[in-house]
Amino acid sequence: MSDLRFFVDPIRCIGCKACMQACSECATHKGKSMIHLEHIERGSSTQTAPMVCMHCDLPTCAAVCPADAIKRTEDGIVQSSQAPRCIGCSNCVNACPFGVPRYYPEIDQMLKCDMCYDRTSIGQKPMCASVCPSEALFYGTLEEFQARRKGTPTNTFQFGAQTITTKVFIVLPEGEIGLDMDVISHMDARFEPDAFDHLDPFAHLEPLPQAQPGLTGGRL
Amino acid sequence: MAKPPLSREDYLDLYGPTLHYSPPGGFRTVDDYDDLVDTHCCFCGQQCGIKLKVKDNEVVGFEPRYDFPFNRGKLCPKGIKRYLQGSHPDRLLHPMRRTPTGYQRITWDEALSETVSKIQEIQAKYGRDSFAMLSGVSLTNEKSYLVGKFARLALQTANLDYNGRLCMVSAGAGNKKAYGIDRSSNHWEDITQAKVIFIIGTNIAECFPITTDYIWRARDNGAKIIYADPRMVPMARTADLFLPLRVGSDSALLMAMLHVLIRDRLIDEEFIRNHTVGFEDTADAVSNATPEWAAEITGVPADKIELAARWYGEAETGMILHARGLEHQTKGVDNVVSCANLALATGKIGKPGCGHSTITGQGNGQGGREHGHKCDQLPGNRDITNPEHREYIARVWGCPEEEIPGKGLTAQEILNEIHAGNIKGLLSLCFNPLVSLPDANFNREALDKLEHYTVIDFFLSETAQHADIVLPGSLHEEDEGTSTSGEGRVIKINAPVTPPGEARRDWEILLDIANRLGRGKYFGYTSTREIFEELRLASRGGTADYSGITWEKVVDTQGVFWPAPQVTERGKTTMSVAELDSEHPGTPRLYEGGRFYHADGKARFNAVKWRESGEVVDDEYPIWFTTGRVVSQYLSGTQTRRIGPLVDQFPHPKLEMHPRMAKQLGIRTDDWVTIQTRRGEVIIQANVVNTIRPDTVFMAYHWGGKESANLLTQRALDPVSKIPEYKVSACRVRLATPEEQAEGERVKAASARTEKNLPAGYGLQERRQELRR
Amino acid sequence: MLKPTGAALPPRRDPPPVPVPGMDVTLDRRGVIWGLIVAALVTLSIYLGSQRFHGFDGALAGYAFATVFAIFGIVYRYVVWLQRPPTRTYWRRGWELFWQPGQRIRNTGLFFKMGWEKLIEQRFIRKRSRGRWLAHQLIFWGCLIAIAITFPLTFGWLRFESDFTNPSDYLIVLFGQRLEFFTFPARSLLGWLIMHGLNVAAVLCLAGIALILGRRIKDQAEIATQRFDNDIMPLILLFAVSVTGMFLTVSNMFIEGKFYYFLTTIHAVTVYLWLLYLPFGKFFHIFQRIANLGVWFYKAAGANGPQAACARCGTEYTSELQRGDLKAMLPELGFDYRHSQVDNWQNLCPGCRRKLMTLNQFAVTGKEFM
Repeated sequence: MSDLRFFVDPIRCIGCKACMQACSECATHKGKSMIHLEHIERGSSTQTAPMVCMHCDLPTCAAVCPADAIKRTEDGIVQSSQAPRCIGCSNCVNACPFGVPRYYPEIDQMLKCDMCYDRTSIGQKPMCASVCPSEALFYGTLEEFQARRKGTPTNTFQFGAQTITTKVFIVLPEGEIGLDMDVISHMDARFEPDAFDHLDPFAHLEPLPQAQPGLTGGRL
Repeated sequence: MAKPPLSREDYLDLYGPTLHYSPPGGFRTVDDYDDLVDTHCCFCGQQCGIKLKVKDNEVVGFEPRYDFPFNRGKLCPKGIKRYLQGSHPDRLLHPMRRTPTGYQRITWDEALSETVSKIQEIQAKYGRDSFAMLSGVSLTNEKSYLVGKFARLALQTANLDYNGRLCMVSAGAGNKKAYGIDRSSNHWEDITQAKVIFIIGTNIAECFPITTDYIWRARDNGAKIIYADPRMVPMARTADLFLPLRVGSDSALLMAMLHVLIRDRLIDEEFIRNHTVGFEDTADAVSNATPEWAAEITGVPADKIELAARWYGEAETGMILHARGLEHQTKGVDNVVSCANLALATGKIGKPGCGHSTITGQGNGQGGREHGHKCDQLPGNRDITNPEHREYIARVWGCPEEEIPGKGLTAQEILNEIHAGNIKGLLSLCFNPLVSLPDANFNREALDKLEHYTVIDFFLSETAQHADIVLPGSLHEEDEGTSTSGEGRVIKINAPVTPPGEARRDWEILLDIANRLGRGKYFGYTSTREIFEELRLASRGGTADYSGITWEKVVDTQGVFWPAPQVTERGKTTMSVAELDSEHPGTPRLYEGGRFYHADGKARFNAVKWRESGEVVDDEYPIWFTTGRVVSQYLSGTQTRRIGPLVDQFPHPKLEMHPRMAKQLGIRTDDWVTIQTRRGEVIIQANVVNTIRPDTVFMAYHWGGKESANLLTQRALDPVSKIPEYKVSACRVRLATPEEQAEGERVKAASARTEKNLPAGYGLQERRQELRR
Repeated sequence: MLKPTGAALPPRRDPPPVPVPGMDVTLDRRGVIWGLIVAALVTLSIYLGSQRFHGFDGALAGYAFATVFAIFGIVYRYVVWLQRPPTRTYWRRGWELFWQPGQRIRNTGLFFKMGWEKLIEQRFIRKRSRGRWLAHQLIFWGCLIAIAITFPLTFGWLRFESDFTNPSDYLIVLFGQRLEFFTFPARSLLGWLIMHGLNVAAVLCLAGIALILGRRIKDQAEIATQRFDNDIMPLILLFAVSVTGMFLTVSNMFIEGKFYYFLTTIHAVTVYLWLLYLPFGKFFHIFQRIANLGVWFYKAAGANGPQAACARCGTEYTSELQRGDLKAMLPELGFDYRHSQVDNWQNLCPGCRRKLMTLNQFAVTGKEFM
């Protein structure tokens, strides 16, 4: 699997949740979805954010685990928590810079995306990237990726002072070398009600049309 | 007469919808299955390839089918969870008779003889056409063909129609008018080569998710996207140009675009001269259709209309994609031919990256509308009123020409006639009109007036609850055959499992009824393959020519694009199926070299005059109401409302409205609202989103009962295609009263039951929350 | 809530060397000291418990020695483990919370209740999978019984003697005291159970091993992630100990002690290996599990205390206690999540962190969307 890579391109995401449904069908996930997909803020946009585990080279989740329950295998996959070890403390849930691990209270254990290790370890594609209709999630060789589409895959993220490099790539425009994680310019309409006014394609339209221009003036 | 005998609670307990979550045998980390069967998804016209895992004659899961070229393993949530429709607790397993107190189990013999004697009784008393048949295009090509023949030769009624009437007929009629053939012009790979893609009236991300990848690949190649829709749907959000179109104003926008193209000489005069007829009339018709004029009607700023026209006209290649948004209107055909006018005027058709395609909505919406399933049609997309066509089909069927009835009524007209008391009996298959036809209250009254109603179905749908006899039929995965995707690709459906219990394959049931009606001589099939072979012969020489297609070829080449006519002289004249050749490679792209399917080989311009929709807003009903799909549900939801993980994604319909309208009405997200039209009212919760026009509200239509959007829609029909106007109604909206809210909550609570015995640690509530975020 | 800042983000720099969590190669001084102390205490208790080696069975000396060594290893590893910042935090916090004045009696009660649920009943495993729970319980009780019998035997704390008055009856000698009140006939059910306690334990273990092995052969998740040294090795060792132990009985009872000497040697070797593996392999999770109780107290205290709100969306997503501890612990682990806009990236809720990746990707495309 060495030359097969995982590419995430959130801009393409259409929010269909095929990835979540497929993830729950992976033989090892037993009806639970490890991938995240959520609306940024449905009230102001249909925009959705998909999130798989990025499989950090130096995983914060594993570092903060008090029980040594998270291991990174030689091929760079940060595994889900080991059942015998995980003590359900949620340190990883709160520390992961990408917000990936999820705590399942009913089984008192953290589970996270393991890039469908049962599949990828034998050369198959992970479930989510297999089904993703828009290829917001893509799994294949770099050559395949470049043959199909444009953009620069990068795997360097800057969280304030902390640089994190990952096994999973995010697709950025040509020439970008990494992603600086900025917060201040992404306060959404919940905080700034006029945040989208300059983009609103409906700004010129009245809510309740009483007079119908199409009925009177518009007849040919 | 046919009122459902049970209470809502009893229906829920006995027949669901039960939310089914876990595969047969539970969630296995152990991957053991007997077989992995190549087949296709049954939900939507894209017909994605999928592999189904089978164990002990049950479908236990899926696996992506990477080798199928259309979707290369991709699936939407419906495809992924489709396997849960099998081994379902609600599945009908034996024939039933409705009694005043419930449904009584009867034998197949009793059920069939009662049905047949009722057919004979009603036809003897009121005439043959008083017994109607309704069918659907989730059926395979073979079954669609069989239903057409069955209705004409076994029931001997003219009144057969299908639920493609609610789906594809506007596109079909428009395509035939413009091009002389009814199919998408291109295979989807062509989309990636377009430099501009004009998308109008289709929510591609939610209704045809796999198509999004083709569009993104086009964008990576430098394509611009123009998206016209009343809602800022997911794909529209990132479009290069978004046209916030008012519902029902599509033809005005399209006319203005043509106006700009002609005004700015962006048309291909040579193409028009050599390959089309009727340009002058059409140009005349749009001479006054200025962008300013259209801006007033559509609400799209004039400069954006100009820009859209110019982008489309100036681009080297361009595609137009549309779906039900502009077809579900009383102007459905007008809108489709207006799109065709744009493509023809610029010569953007019949070349790589150029075309005009409708995106088929129903599973076999393409194939099912070609082989005699429609009230006015015979196999091969032949015309039932054309003497030559009748003569040929009579020869194939081996019956006298006069045995074939004439043109019948369309779907909504059949319901209208039932309501009027002129049609007394009904047999339906693969159709849930109570949820899917407009003005549900009217249709419910109609069904209650039937003297006899037999339904073939696998779940007891809202409509089937009104039936006198319920015959358990087959699911998609329980029967084999072919279907035709929205691309025009004929593909093979395989049957990994057999029907459970006493349920039987639909075609076997129809054959039994035909036999009992004494018409067995026309129906001597022993397999669906024999039906397909006859279909090949019957379609030969028609526009939808399947004669060069064989099951083997379909499997070997991952689908064959029709038309695939006969190549050899022998094949063109023989009346023996065995002598048909299969040499034609199929036609992925139509109209190459500007050859169209009208007799003279030329395409037709169709002049369109602007007119308003069947219902417009006024002081009493001041808000535009429109309907559509969500990604996790399919059509009337008979199947998808029973699949737990899909329901959890979007459990109940919500009324989408713009914050400015909401503010004016004092409504916030999740408030209960009452929506009223002249037909009825619905009480649901609001979803306040700024992704919709402020003068329009939207509701998804997949639910039945009191959550049905079609309680509100109108029965106005397109004069040509007879498609109902789902997309345009006038309504009023207000905050629900406390009593109404209580009623709404009661309805919501009684919408489904959750499957029992979910595995420990499944964490249902958490899973539900995750899927709703 | 947010500090608006016009300043650019800090320049990108190479990731600092972060110590990979796991085992250190160099010996930890504190671990060695604690290990030696506990090992010495155990040795002393052997000396005293066996009345100055009077009751010590020389034939079992090897076992005793291996056990002492294993205890040294466990203590060593435990001490090393507790020094890791996250573990140390939980250890300290756990005790702090436990010993809060006024709560001690209640906490002790809860300690036993949670100990029962989490360590004995292992309810959380049952929720994960009943099959796995059954296998785990079989092995758990098998090992527990075996340890309860063998450790005192090899330490010379316990032995069985026949009753002088009634030679067919046996009695237990514990720490040199003949428990006269508890004699039991050798040929009774109770006698059989006591004399064959180790065989019972072996059968339990073997049944559990069979169940687990079945899953490890078929289950895709296990196949994908299992590693020989971590997952298969302990099963082999446990299997070897159980089987060779039972062979001893077979040899003794059915084939007149044939191969007995050979079998005792083999059995001894397997047990030594098992004991040596105990501190460093998978079985160490038995001792780590105890931390579960600390976590439970920690979470309960966090839930009752102030909650931490997300710096972007304001949602309360964890306890102030846990967020503060994490922020203190991360620099020790080599991570620096200081962020000019939100003070620290750790001040954001997981949901906002996920969303911000998408939002930032959109931002660099240079286009704006609703």
